[in-house]
This record gives sequence, C-alpha cells and structure tokens, in this order.
Amino acid sequence: MSAVIPVGMAELKIARCPEQLVVYGIGSCVIVSLYDPKSKAGGLAHVMLPDSTGIDPKVINPVKFADTAVPALYEALTSSGAYKSSLVAKIVGGSEMFPPTEDFENNIGRDNTEAVKKALKKLSLPLIAEDTGGRRGRSIEFDLESGIIRLSILGEELREI
Amino acid sequence: MQDVTNLTRTQLDALREIGNIGSGNAASALAQFLNRKIDMAVPSASIMDFKAIPAIIGGPDKTVMGIFLKVMGEISGRFLLLIPEKTSLKLLHTLIPGCEIDTPLKMGELESSCMREVGNILAGAFLNALSVITQTPMLNSLPSMTYDMAGAMIDSIVADMTAISDKVLMIETSFIESEEDLRIHIFLLPDPASLQLLLKKIGVV
Repeated sequence: MSAVIPVGMAELKIARCPEQLVVYGIGSCVIVSLYDPKSKAGGLAHVMLPDSTGIDPKVINPVKFADTAVPALYEALTSSGAYKSSLVAKIVGGSEMFPPTEDFENNIGRDNTEAVKKALKKLSLPLIAEDTGGRRGRSIEFDLESGIIRLSILGEELREI
Repeated sequence: MQDVTNLTRTQLDALREIGNIGSGNAASALAQFLNRKIDMAVPSASIMDFKAIPAIIGGPDKTVMGIFLKVMGEISGRFLLLIPEKTSLKLLHTLIPGCEIDTPLKMGELESSCMREVGNILAGAFLNALSVITQTPMLNSLPSMTYDMAGAMIDSIVADMTAISDKVLMIETSFIESEEDLRIHIFLLPDPASLQLLLKKIGVV
C-alpha cells in the first residue's frame, strides 16, 4: 500500500508517485495543486485567505494566503527536483458553504479562487482544470501516478479532474 | 485588540460561566419545544488551534447539519450550531407533523426553514441571556443553514479570524438527550475586536 498523506488547513505538502495526497472537508478554502508529469512529483497548498497584504512577515504562515502560498508551493516543488517547464496547476474548493441571508454575506471562497488564479498567472503556471464555487464541501485524493484529482461531494457522483 | 492567546485563567473561567448561562437558557428553550428533558454538558471556554475544531464533532469529513448566525451589536461574534444527522431528523419529525424524510439531503423549503428557526430560537435564547449579563444588546442575524462536512463549514467560518494567529477563542457546549442519544453542539466565537469589551462587561479585564 502506498502512503496516503493528509493535508490540513494552511499546510503545504509535496509528494511523489506512488504516494497520494488527500484533503477532507474543503469549504471556502482553495486547494492548489501543482504537478509535474515527467517526474511524477506534485504538491498541494491548502489556502484559507486571499491576501497577505498588511500581515507582519515575521509571523506570517505563507501557506494561509493565496498570494504567498502559490509561490511557496512552486518553490518547494521545484527545489525538490520537479521540472519547472512541465508544471501544471489544478484548483479545487472555494465554496460558499452558508448561503447569504439579508444580514450577511460570507463569500471568502470566491475571493480565494480569484486570488489563487491571479497568483498562478503571475508565475505563468497553466491552470488546466478546476472544480470551484457552488455551495458544497469537497474532499479530494490527488494521485501522483496520473496527476488526477478525485473529488467526492456529498450527494453527488464521484468525479475526476 | 485583546490577543486571545493571552487570556488568563480567571478570564477563561468567566467566559465559561457566560457560556453556561447562555446555553442554560437555550437548553430550556429546546426542552420546551421538544417537550423532553435536555441535559447540558459542562461548557468549555478554550483557546483552540482552528485545525483541532473539526475533531470535536468527529473529524473534518463527518457530515452534520450546520446552522450559522452572526452575533451583531457592540459585542459581535459568530454562533454555530452543529447537529448530527440523527438529531436533525428527530427535530424535523417532532416539529413538522407528517414529516418522514430519512436523510437531511432530502430537505425541502419547509424542512430547511424549520431548522433555521431552531437555530434562531436557540441562538436568540443564548444571546438574550448574554445581553442581560453584559447589559449590552446582542442580536443574532438571520440564520444560514447547510448539511455537509463539518471541516468544510468550519474553514469557512474561522478563515478570516485566523489571518495572524492560528488560535481562536471558542465557547463550546453540547445538549444531550440520553434516551435517544440526541445531541446539539453550540459554538460561540467572539470577534477578537470586541473581546476586550466583553471581558470588561463581565468584570474580568
């Protein structure tokens, strides 16, 4: 059996085939995956918030924020031997778990998704697939053999991106 | 702004006590509309790493009903009820005559509206008690509800409270009806910006 490595909120993990990375219960967070099909190495960053502007760099956890997590993931993966030119990105999450009421709107998910896309663009990392938005939580398995992400969503068929 | 990680033992004890009074009031509201005896677990007030919260109710992928409300007023915060499937079905079957759905996934508008009202009543009872103690009006927003993985709800609620620190202040309690093992978990997360005022109002600055 190959190792299954869970990735919690605000964590970044790198893995290689035949390992798998898993994330349970993704809501407004966005999971950024980068994968190098040549070396079959990949990584996930579990992003919670869009923007680190104004946060003291001494206390910051860069993985929490889209603008710092994407470069951190890129850095970690390329320094572990992945080929820069073959990296592809997929993103998952960014739900609005609680529908807005007359009193509040709580859509960090949408802001996270936009901020992650912007950060990927900045590094010229191609976004080849996404499963984002909506009102449901997601769990994923990231298979480092194929680069496929399997998604499970309550009340829906399993799907792959 | 009061840093939650610097709270003293005495301050935490006082916060636990307001949790006790708030949830006592909510428990009697619940007992009244279910017409049965509801026991209350001893509340806790703790500084928790946000990553540890989903474990309280059985892990991030545990499916539960979540009812979320904002606490509005000078003292603001977030209020979350997490209700296991079995308890939510029991509530629906008790409160809606003729309701026979066997999974919350089949809830229609009537059932959703009923669960939101349960959230409204429990939050209202809890916050009423707190308003009296703190002599500061605390109102709850309209509730929003979902049935999904606990981890997915919690990340959405705590994300913007944890930009700097990984810790949140959480007052937590649960209601238990032992005969049928019905449970409701209540979480109150005061906003860090109004924590100082809350502590002042309960006399433990």
